[in-house]
Amino acid sequence: MSNKPDLLHGVPEIPAGSVPHANGCDQSCFLGERPDPLSYKEAIQTVKNWFRANSLWVIAYGTGCGSIELRPLGTARFDMERFGIAMRPTPRQSNVLIISGYLSIKSLKRVIRVYEQMPSPKWVVGLGSCTINGGMYWDSYATMKVLDLYLPVDVYIAGCMPRPEALIGGFKELMRMIKNGETKGYIDYIERLDWYRENQKQIIKDWDLPDYSW
Amino acid sequence: MSLAIKIAWSLLNVLVAIAYGLVTYGVVRKTMARIQGRIGPPIYQPFIDLGKVIFLRTATSHGVMFFLGPIFRFVGGVGLFLVLPVIVGVPALENFSFNGDLLLAMYFMFFGSLGMALGAAEGGHPHSPIGIGRGLSQMTSFELPFGLAVVALISVGGSFSVTEIVQRQQELGGVLGWNLFQQPFAAAAAFLALLGMNMYPPFNIVGAPQEIPVGPPTEYNAVFQSLMMSGRSIFAIAKTVMFMDLFLGGATSIPEAFLKTFCIYMWTVFVGAVFPRFRTEQSIRFFLGWPTLAGVVAVLLPLF
Amino acid sequence: MQTTLQALKNQFTVQWEKQQRADLHQVGLPREQTLAALTWLKEHTPFVQLTHMSVVDWIEEDQFQITYLLMNPRSYDLLMVCTRIARSGATMESVHKLWPQAVTYEQEMNEMFGVEFPGSPRQGESFILEGWEDIPPMRRDFDTVQFVLDHIPDRPGRLSINTREFIGRKVGEKRLLHD
Repeated sequence: MSNKPDLLHGVPEIPAGSVPHANGCDQSCFLGERPDPLSYKEAIQTVKNWFRANSLWVIAYGTGCGSIELRPLGTARFDMERFGIAMRPTPRQSNVLIISGYLSIKSLKRVIRVYEQMPSPKWVVGLGSCTINGGMYWDSYATMKVLDLYLPVDVYIAGCMPRPEALIGGFKELMRMIKNGETKGYIDYIERLDWYRENQKQIIKDWDLPDYSW
Repeated sequence: MSLAIKIAWSLLNVLVAIAYGLVTYGVVRKTMARIQGRIGPPIYQPFIDLGKVIFLRTATSHGVMFFLGPIFRFVGGVGLFLVLPVIVGVPALENFSFNGDLLLAMYFMFFGSLGMALGAAEGGHPHSPIGIGRGLSQMTSFELPFGLAVVALISVGGSFSVTEIVQRQQELGGVLGWNLFQQPFAAAAAFLALLGMNMYPPFNIVGAPQEIPVGPPTEYNAVFQSLMMSGRSIFAIAKTVMFMDLFLGGATSIPEAFLKTFCIYMWTVFVGAVFPRFRTEQSIRFFLGWPTLAGVVAVLLPLF
Repeated sequence: MQTTLQALKNQFTVQWEKQQRADLHQVGLPREQTLAALTWLKEHTPFVQLTHMSVVDWIEEDQFQITYLLMNPRSYDLLMVCTRIARSGATMESVHKLWPQAVTYEQEMNEMFGVEFPGSPRQGESFILEGWEDIPPMRRDFDTVQFVLDHIPDRPGRLSINTREFIGRKVGEKRLLHD
């Protein structure tokens, strides 16, 4: 569930831990001074990640049939609010974008816009087989087949459709990754924006988005 | 008490009020969840949300007024809280109340929403002006019964000072000395108006979910949103403190103050938990109906 | 229903007629009389509501069949009016002046099948496909699989399983013999 499948064009692996380790072994190491176990920046980062992981706000935007599976999460049986997960109706206030099921090319344009308008840090969850390899819509002329060519996906949840329990499992996995600082998708998107843009323009024929939707 | 110590105490009061407001909001979310048969978030969830929102990066810019909107809202809440005495007779908890503070409090109740309206309209999202239009029209209509109730209190008590209104109730003695029982019509008008002020259902037409999802603050994120969250919590607490002073005879000790404000706040929550939402014109008609009539009766009754 | 059908037969040349259900009748009309018949049905009979419009591609006969599904809102009876048009350079008269909701149907049919409706608003505007450059995708001579393989990147390693063989291996060949 957590491991990103190998990409078509091969995404370079980004090492875990966002902040470079501050206590590099310089001369002081040999002089007997004790290096501090957790540097100040890392401690701050850990606190921030804890806050982020426990307050995931999901944008309520359903692209496909998977959004049917999202609704029970708010009800008494599954209740995602106990993990601090809430639905937000505006991209400006949300951190998690769920691509729920098949994503048509017309929707892809809107999704890119929504994703770029969200404030960093932000995460993408691909829900269902359709986001992984096309699923049962693999031969449809109107849907994309590999989501991580167009958006940096952090967690895939396989299934057609995954049950709400699987979704909660995916959320828990995402929370664990955020706490460990393993989610670098939003940095990757900025660093390799040209590569993503090239893929997006290959499939969206009438490209009329701005350079970056702030 | 020197001015410096007074300012320090007031700052502490504001911080406590913000924390108290956030805890109250957490309790509200938990209550709503339990009513719906869910487990619900932990009570400290609003603190986590606030912390997360502060740590967000923002790249949004819509001009100066956009930035000032949440600040106005925050200042409106803090200003309202600072002119009200939490516990009369304890100088540390009287904040900056003075003769005539009731007029300033009435002004501050409008101030935050107006500032927010100016700021949110700059955001350019179509839901913002719709929400602002709904909110301001609803505010105008619930200010009428609330204003009439306050006029009734002033005319009977003969003072613009919240402190004197509290003292008058405490001199009458006992629970029956409260304005809630001394002036039932004014209390009815004001507590019905409070339903509209706190914007729980059936009067949540500003942020109406499924209609104009969050309404005015659609474009706000990061620090602006954290300012709005803390501003909203202190504003809610300041309003309940005001109602406690005006109608429930103030407070003589800190636990009493907590208990009374909490009860006043949960009144709107419990009403909200069981009602669906009004439309805008239904809400306005409601406030201009029975609450306004109760307010008029409250003003006219002492004349006969 | 029967009176309407009889009156329709008296006024227009009904090429063929078929009763699908007790409340669903199908009539075939020549292309020249279709608009007049629809107008007459709307003005003089209870079938006033246009419920659906669709196109069927009869590629073997080099024709498109356009179907108008009309409903009687009192008795919930349905009447399908079918007409055939030539497949090459397909054009049809627009009915958006009778039923304004036909504009969206006609826009979609124009996009998905390439049938022209002269005079209808929003013809040529994209409805679902944005920036489409190929032939209209719902035509039967459009090779969907080839288009997908050519244009939409996929992830390698996808398996295709012949369902019949797979299930046969699982449950034994005997189960499948009788079907």
